[in-house]
Amino acid sequence: MTTPSKAESAPDLLTADQVRLGVVAADRDDAIDQAGRLLVEAGAIEEPYIAAMHEREAVMSSYMGEGFALPHGTDESRRYVRRAAVAFLQFAEPVEWEHGEDAHAALAVAATSDEHIGVLASLAQVLSDEESAERLRTTTDVDVVLTLLAPAVEEDE
Amino acid sequence: MASIQGSQIKKVVVACEAGMGSSVLLTSQLKKRLGGYGISVGHSPVNQIPDDADVVLCHQGLSSRARDQAGDTPVLAFNAYLGDPVFDRLEEAVKNDDTVEG
Repeated sequence: MTTPSKAESAPDLLTADQVRLGVVAADRDDAIDQAGRLLVEAGAIEEPYIAAMHEREAVMSSYMGEGFALPHGTDESRRYVRRAAVAFLQFAEPVEWEHGEDAHAALAVAATSDEHIGVLASLAQVLSDEESAERLRTTTDVDVVLTLLAPAVEEDE
Repeated sequence: MASIQGSQIKKVVVACEAGMGSSVLLTSQLKKRLGGYGISVGHSPVNQIPDDADVVLCHQGLSSRARDQAGDTPVLAFNAYLGDPVFDRLEEAVKNDDTVEG
């Protein structure tokens, strides 16, 4: 498989279709299913990747802190990823992600290699800034999500 | 227990299960903190830790696997991806040339 050069623009990892605000999720499993469905609908993953997301979550929680979770598949399940993409779910009511830790939002990741580093770098920035983190947890505007999570430029890679 | 002096650290590797999520995010945060000291920060699956890593960071849940792989490279385990004190300790050790053990 050939990798496109960095000069070519990569397709957007996160589009408005892959953002859902005020989602009702019964529990963590339901939240992961819904996030997985969004990635399937986006044509980013094949169905078995969703099972791998649950598998990965069982090994180790993907809860990050500040009310955000970062569910994704296992290393093995990369073969079910057709193209790198992320999906953002913000919950109407917090979902208990691990004991005593509530997620207000989840960013589900499908990656083949490192295409998504820019988006995660942006999430890292958001999480280190209380005000941005609160906006991302509570906004009712999809564009705010797209702006906050627009890929950050990594300096050295 | 392996150890290294803070001033000898040139490469920090975040070890993880899949290398898709949390470790990537943590790598990006640590680059900002440690890059200024001339330290490179990368991530790798726990079973493919590169030989030239000077310090390995990983979640508590992976630390025994990481130690099996890391040989005489110190492995520092953390519990939280955001704000775990181990990241502060590592930065302090680099700054003050303290011994890092793990």
